[in-house]
This record gives sequence, structure tokens and C-alpha cells, in this order.
Amino acid sequence: MKQFVFKRTLSGIPTLFGMTLIGFLIIGLTPGDPIEMELRRLGVSFTAEQVEALRVEYGLDKPLIQRYFIWLLDLFRLDLGTSIASGRPVLELFKEHLPITATLSVLAFVSSLALSLVLGTITAVSQRTSVSTSLYVLTMFLVSVPSFWLALFLLAVFALGLGWFKLLQFGNAQDLILPVITLTLGNAAVMSRLVRERIIAVMSEDYIRLAITKGLSRRAILGRHVLKSILPPLITNWAISFGSLLGGSVIIENIFNLPGLGQLALQAIAERDFAILQAYLLFMGLVFFLANFAADLTNHWLMPQLKEDDHGVR
Amino acid sequence: MNKFKQLLGVSGVLAASLPALISGVPAAQAEDIQQLRIAVKKDRYSVDPKKFNFTTRRPAGQIVETAVKPDENFIPQGVLFETWDYKDGVYSIKLREGIKFHDGQTFDAKAAIDALKLYDQGRSDFLQIDQESFDQTGPYTFTFKSEINSSLVIENMTHRGASLFSINGERAENPIGTGSYLLDSYKPKQSISMKRNADYWGDAPKVENITYHFIADDQVRLLALQNKEVDIVAEVTPQMLLSLPKDGSVVVHESRPIRYVALLTNLHGKAPYDTLKDKRVREALAYAINREQLAQVLFNGKGVVAKGILPDWMFGLGDKHVDGFDYNTQKAEALLDEAGWTKGSDGMRSKDGKPLKLRLVAAYPNVSSVRPMPELLEQMFRGIGIDIELVQVDDSGVYDDTYLATGEADLYMEFASNNNADPTYLLYNLFHSKTPWGYQYTAPGGKLDTILDNARQAQSREKVIELVREAHREIVQTKLAAIPILMVPNFNLSRPGLNIPMFEHADWIDYGQVTQTK
Repeated sequence: MKQFVFKRTLSGIPTLFGMTLIGFLIIGLTPGDPIEMELRRLGVSFTAEQVEALRVEYGLDKPLIQRYFIWLLDLFRLDLGTSIASGRPVLELFKEHLPITATLSVLAFVSSLALSLVLGTITAVSQRTSVSTSLYVLTMFLVSVPSFWLALFLLAVFALGLGWFKLLQFGNAQDLILPVITLTLGNAAVMSRLVRERIIAVMSEDYIRLAITKGLSRRAILGRHVLKSILPPLITNWAISFGSLLGGSVIIENIFNLPGLGQLALQAIAERDFAILQAYLLFMGLVFFLANFAADLTNHWLMPQLKEDDHGVR
Repeated sequence: MNKFKQLLGVSGVLAASLPALISGVPAAQAEDIQQLRIAVKKDRYSVDPKKFNFTTRRPAGQIVETAVKPDENFIPQGVLFETWDYKDGVYSIKLREGIKFHDGQTFDAKAAIDALKLYDQGRSDFLQIDQESFDQTGPYTFTFKSEINSSLVIENMTHRGASLFSINGERAENPIGTGSYLLDSYKPKQSISMKRNADYWGDAPKVENITYHFIADDQVRLLALQNKEVDIVAEVTPQMLLSLPKDGSVVVHESRPIRYVALLTNLHGKAPYDTLKDKRVREALAYAINREQLAQVLFNGKGVVAKGILPDWMFGLGDKHVDGFDYNTQKAEALLDEAGWTKGSDGMRSKDGKPLKLRLVAAYPNVSSVRPMPELLEQMFRGIGIDIELVQVDDSGVYDDTYLATGEADLYMEFASNNNADPTYLLYNLFHSKTPWGYQYTAPGGKLDTILDNARQAQSREKVIELVREAHREIVQTKLAAIPILMVPNFNLSRPGLNIPMFEHADWIDYGQVTQTK
């Protein structure tokens, strides 16, 4: 196990480095000068010399690769840079915005997990019944519908129509109900399809058929045999889903006006706030890396007989 | 005579009570508001010591005041400055007396100089005052010079970013100004609240508390108004105007038209974007636009046909210096024929085997702000045989770098305004060949550069205005660097019963003076 953890950690380092470099290049090469964009938005007269002075002040005058290494060195000192738009340290902004995104994502993840298991199991074990068909159609609909549409629909019905919720958030727990439902519905629908497919596939295996003919109850078969077989790929999928939830909260935070990391990143894209974008990319990379790492560890612990390369593919 | 006076008096009383008599209820009266909630798009509040003049905007504008503000013609009028004079390169200032900062400190010449000196420490010293030139000449008088010998420093002081802070206290946590409101609470990206300053030196505000809510999504801002969670929506897009409920629950407030919609033309493009070097083609485009029709269809019918990109009321410019272009497709077709672009059997034009095809980029400030005007223009231009490649970009950075700076388009549709009391501001930044905003391909250069340089250096406002008129004509008439289409008001939305003192420049709407009808 120790060796496994060591190997995985070691392999993650170049991945993370490569990701930061690619991310930095993509952001740096994106059209748009943040200084000029900001100045024009503000509506004040500037000379070319003043624009250049500001560019020097933010280090934007240096070659891209040099800027990357400066950023990397600062990163080791836990300095993520300063936001051009707000003038505040990026680390401080992250500390402010992360709790909302993390809470939203964790709640949505847990509820997606529970809902997807229920939906996936029902649609798999009761195939060709009206309940199963209806649920299958519902999940197909939820997979197809864009999250922003679902969010606006829920707002129109539950906030505007029924008056159960407010549009403006004031930091109460209930403010997260509609955003969590929006994220959960779409995500659970996707996850439940995998649960369904895996259960159907495992149920057609010979050893399951044997168990059925031996008279084992459906509950026992599902609990003892099926669950054990479907878990490894599901855990890997859940890890990816968690990362996707964190990233996918961008639109939801914007619509529900939640001051989370997604909203911060969206504004940073519009303003070419490179320091925030770079930190956001690094953070998302870390989340995906850690989530996959956790999934691999769990799989390794659950089924130590699996070869390392098999994790997530069986 | 006395009987006549009595009769007049009775008539007056009757006239005043007529609405009440007719409706059976008392006449409408304006009343003060306890709490006003305003939805704006972005949280741009920041009074970071290093860059407070960079992003201090509308909300902070209630707390800190500027030295001068734009009047109804965008000409500076005194706020903290009572009078000023500019002679031989020296500004002489007399402050309004009896003003105190929120912490009780008197706003005198020393405090004003200290406040103005803060701008030199900021990252965006757009006032460009010579810091060594400050000279206190009395308790409430002082002088200074411009670093660049500009006569337009006072005009630039109308910008909210030039508000005067006390040097005492921590500006971000507790900004100390002279304004009619005090900061109450600030939740980044969520809301900022302020309460009435009981000791305010000027007209007392009519609203006790103001809260700005930051709501990024346009539709959600409108939903919040419909759901009665805000009272006013301060940033309104055409899309929001199109989706307003018809039941009267949302009221549209508008200023005079100020924002222009225009097509900037590529005057220096390389092939294939060199077609508009021929002025006859630019003129043909100008005559092919049915502005009346666009004005009816777009912006809730509130837009007006534009002759230029600066409104006639602004700076007292008037509109006699520009002629505009009427809708005349025959003239447009004749101009294209004369330029050698002949019509084929399919109705489209070509010259020497090259089809007349223009790339039109709609991007600034974003696609949703002008839609569906690009599509309507495309149809109008096709009507005279010009094929249009429509490019819609929803990112100003991509627009700037990919199309504007490279000159890889023929026409650039923009929806913007001159939101600065410096009359040279817009024309210089957009059309001078030394434009800092990247508009080199649409800047005519030559004579226009000279006019704009002279305007910036002119030592009297009258001379500046005269030169700005000349430059404006050069841009929209003689050179057709911009083809004006519409002028559009600044909009606010509110619940019924609110009276908003609308202003053309969004930063200068005084929400403290909003009242509601009883």
C-alpha cells in the first residue's frame, strides 16, 4: 500500500507541472490585454506610456515563459499573485470564495450519489416496467437539459411562482437548496445511467444467474455480489463527478448569485485576470488529481487483488 | 382686481385638486424611502489604497464626492469646488466652505491637496496633476498645474474615480468622504449597504438606506425585480427590455439618448479587408441603413436616428455641424455602380471577378447588447448587393486582439458612449492614430490627428468645443470612419411608483434622491 501511495504521488508531480505549464500558456496566449480592457471599461483617458507602466507593474511586459517561472517560484512561497481587477491577493480571494463552492459541491455530490444509486438500481432491476421507463425518460431529459436552463426554470417555479425561495442570497443554509438541487439533478442523471448499465451487465454474468437459480433473494444478490462488482468503476466515476461538480458550479453560482470560486473564475475570464485564472486552473487540477488518487486508494483497499493498471477500467 | 385674484386662487386650488377629485383619492405625493435596493451587474467596489482610483465606482460614489460633477450638458459644475479658473497654465481653485469629512475633519485647502495627492500614489493617475505645483493660497484656496499642460483637468475630475477621500483612516474598511451616505456593510460579490449621513452639507438624501446587490446574470436581475427582492435594476440590456412583463409590474426609466450604435470602418486594411478604402462604398453603406426601422424595432422603440456618435445636447455641441445620412438605396446603388461594383444576375455585386463581400464584427461591449441589429443590417446591405460575413464575438479581448488590432474585418459594430466630461475623450481614444485602445485601422489619421491634438492642447473650453465639432464632422461625415446608426438612452427598471432622477451617465444617477409616489 505504501509503495502504491508513493508511486501515485510521484507520478502526479509531473502531471501537475505539465498542467500548470499548459494552463499558463493557454491563458497567456488568449487574446485580450487585461490592462487595456480595464482602462477602456473605466472610461478614463490614458496615454500609451501609462498603459505600459501598468503592464510593467503587473509583470505583463515579460516573456510568457519567464512569467511562468516567476509564478512557479512564487507558488512555492504560497504566493498566488495579485488580482488585476480587485488589487487583492489571490490567496485571500480563494479563502473567501472556496467555502461556498466546496459546500455546494459536497452537498450536491452526496445527494447525487444517493439519488443515482436509487435511480440506477430501480431502472436496472425493473426493466420494461412503466416505473423504469418513466425514470429512464426522466434521466434522459435531465442529462439533455442544460444546467442554466434548469436553474432558471427552478427559480421561475419555486422563487417567482411559489415564493418558497429568495433569489438573493444572504448566507443562510436554505440559500443552497435550489443550487444543490440543480447540480444534483443533472449529475445524478448522468451517474445513474452508469449504475444502471453496470448492474445490467453484472446481472447477466453466469455467477449471478447461478445465484438466482439457487434461489438467492434479489436483495442479497444486489448487496453481496452486484455491489461488489460494480463499485470500482463507480468509484472512479464518482471521483471524476466530484471534480466536474466543482468545475460545473461556475454557471450555477452565476445564476444563483453565489459568491463562490466559479463566479470568481467567470469574472476573471471576462477581465483576463490572469493570476486568478492560473490559480483556479491549478486548484481544479489538484482537485481532479486528489479525487482520482482517493478513488485509486479506495479501489486498492477494496480489491487489493486488482492490478494497479486495472483501477478504474474494470 | 381683488375678485380676479380670488378667482385665480380658487382656480389654482381646483386645478391642484383636480386629479384627486377625478379619481376620488388624494393627489399623488412623493415620499421618502426607508430602504432602497438596487441590482447592479458586477462588484467593482474597491478602495484598495494602491488602486482606489482604479475601481471606485457607483456605490462608493454615494460616500465620497468629486470636486465637480457633470451638469445636464456634461459641462463641469461645482460640488466640493465652488469656483475654478484656468489661466496661463495654472488652475486656481476656491473650495466650498462649511464642508466636513465624515470624521469631522474640515474640508479645507490642505485636505483637498492631500486628497488630490493620493492620485499620484495610485496606479492610474489619469488626472496628471503636477504634484510639485500645489500651492495653498488661503484656507480655502489653492493652485496647481497640469503635468501635460492640459486645460481639461477639471473635466476629468467629473469621473467618479476622481472622488476625494480623507487621508485619515483605512480607505477599504472605512472610507471617509464628504458624501451623503456612510458605509454600513460590505459583503464582497454580494452586496454593499450604506446609511444616510445625518450631517451631510448638501441637500439631504430622501432615502434612509441604500443597498446595492451584485447580480451577474441579466435575467436573474430582472427576476429579482419581479420577485420584489430589489426595487431598481440599474444595468439594463436590450434583451431585458424585450422580455419585460406586460402587466405593468416593471417600469422603464430612461435618460436622454447618449449611447451610440455605429459601424466603425476599416480605412487601412490589407486585402481582402481593403474594400472600404473607397469612400463611395462607405457612403453606400451609410445610405443603405434604414435607421427609422431599426429605431422602431430595437431598444423598446426608445432609440433615435443618429447623425453622429456624440449627442447634440452634449457640451452644447448642437447638430448643425453634421448632416447625417438618410435612407436612400437608390443613391447607395448609384455610388456602388460608380465605384465599379456591378450587380450580377443573383443581385450581388462584384468587380473584376471579386465579389463585394464585407466582414462585419459585432462584439462591443457584447453580442447580446445589440442583437438582432447585426442580422437586420446584413439584410439591408444584401438589399444593395453587398454580401456580409457576420462575425459575432462575445468576448472583448478576442474582439480587440483578433479583429481590431489586426484589421481583419471591414466593419466593427459598437454600442458605446462618451461617458466623460472631457469633450476630446471618445474621439481621441477611438479615432486618433495614436489611439491607446487599438483602433489604428479605423483611425483616419492626417488632418483629424491635428484637429484632435489641437483640441487637447487648446487653452479655452470654447476652442476645445469648436475643434471637437470639427473632428466629429471629419469622423462621421467627411471620412466616414464611423457610420452612425442610432442613439440610445440609458435605462433603469423599477417597481411601479418610484421616481428616479435619471442621468445619461450611469455613475451619476443620484439614488439618494429617489422618491416613491404615495
